[in-house]
Amino acid sequence: MRLADFGTTWTKWYDTSGAFGLCRTSEVDFRAEVGTGHNIRARAGRMVNELVALADGGLELIREPDFVLVDVGSREIKYVRFEGRQLTEMNWSTSCAALTGFTLELLGSYFGLDFDRIEPAEASVPVTCGVLGMEQIFERVAAGDPEARAVARFTRGLVDNTLRFAGNPRRLYLSGGMTSNALFLKSFPDHVDVVPLGRFVLVHGLMAEEGLEPGDPAGQ
Amino acid sequence: MARRRIGFVGCPPEDVMGRIRKHELIDLDNLIPGVPVASEGVLPKTVCRIIKRIYDNARALDLDEIVFDEGYGKCDSGRALASLLEETLPVSVRRTRNVSLEGRGTPVSDSRLPLRRKVEMILDDFVRPVERSLEPEPCPAAALWGVPCADFSLYDLFPDGTRILGWLRCFENRTPADEALEQMVDPKIPTVFFAQAFCHKNLLAKHLAERYGGLYFDIDGQVTLPIRAKVEAFMKFRVQGGRRVVG
Repeated sequence: MRLADFGTTWTKWYDTSGAFGLCRTSEVDFRAEVGTGHNIRARAGRMVNELVALADGGLELIREPDFVLVDVGSREIKYVRFEGRQLTEMNWSTSCAALTGFTLELLGSYFGLDFDRIEPAEASVPVTCGVLGMEQIFERVAAGDPEARAVARFTRGLVDNTLRFAGNPRRLYLSGGMTSNALFLKSFPDHVDVVPLGRFVLVHGLMAEEGLEPGDPAGQ
Repeated sequence: MARRRIGFVGCPPEDVMGRIRKHELIDLDNLIPGVPVASEGVLPKTVCRIIKRIYDNARALDLDEIVFDEGYGKCDSGRALASLLEETLPVSVRRTRNVSLEGRGTPVSDSRLPLRRKVEMILDDFVRPVERSLEPEPCPAAALWGVPCADFSLYDLFPDGTRILGWLRCFENRTPADEALEQMVDPKIPTVFFAQAFCHKNLLAKHLAERYGGLYFDIDGQVTLPIRAKVEAFMKFRVQGGRRVVG
């Protein structure tokens, strides 16, 4: 039995043989029994919406009664807030913040940047969406900023967006592909306690929906 | 007297509606199949979908008269649109201000019917009175506060018997200026608060959602995937109880 999160750029899955997996969504050649994600289309027998998968994943992975969990992916930002382990707020932004994660990955490849080696920026550029943010980066580069610094400002803008979107929590659990980006994680201000949970939070949510634990042989 | 074709906007007073029900009545707030979009480029972008729809309908339909209720139940955009239509269309515009507080009850809003059916009945009833002896739902699982949604598929996301609150409840009651009724919320019922994008009612919707711990969102036209996901998640975690993992 396979459970999968078919994201815009990456697909994450769990196989009940016990394996977690990751591949580019453009290379997916399987169907899942249960799925979620922007590119799910006809790829899963049962579909779980992404906010439900995120919320379930948060309940599964986080022990605190009150928490804020934000998923920053290629295409959009989603968040859920729990108080006393009851869902009190949620949001899903697609137009504002659209394609910001994707844009960062694209720029990293374009400029040949190693995000592990870039120092975070003190100041940000406005990142309304990926396209407008990219315009800001090229403006900065034209004004003489090194490419890495311009991208760092963009990343700081993405962090500002994320915090504002989630209601400026003091502790933030983070989900999604951006948790693998060192520059993104380092760009959060010191007063925010960021806890990265990795790319598989929604997959854990699907597992919870199915009543599965990692390594659970059920459904094989 | 020849039967005339009259368009109306909002919730005109009953004394006016009573006199014109013998004519063909068209609710200009509603989506009418085949009406072309003429408002783009004429009206500002930051005007709600309903105002644009009224403009499109008024332009496209061959009306003899427009009855435009522009009281508390509408907004400045509505009042400005009434002036615009009056000045640009060869049709008379009768302006009304429905300030009635004499309610006729809300049996449809409180009934056990599916939500989409309730909304259709409330809107139809204004033109041709429908049977309103309905079985009430004493313990609704959820409530929806707001104005009619441009995309009725929103209603299919709610359980049967969902209580109708807000302006739509006032509309069924024929009291669009009843602020107290519009703001009535039962804190025990998980409630979704909705307004059209760019509508002034967003302020009230968001305020009430925060006060009562409900879900708030606005929609510009079609129900998007994120909106659908939010309502589904709200139903799962707040209405049906969701999963409770002890921390």
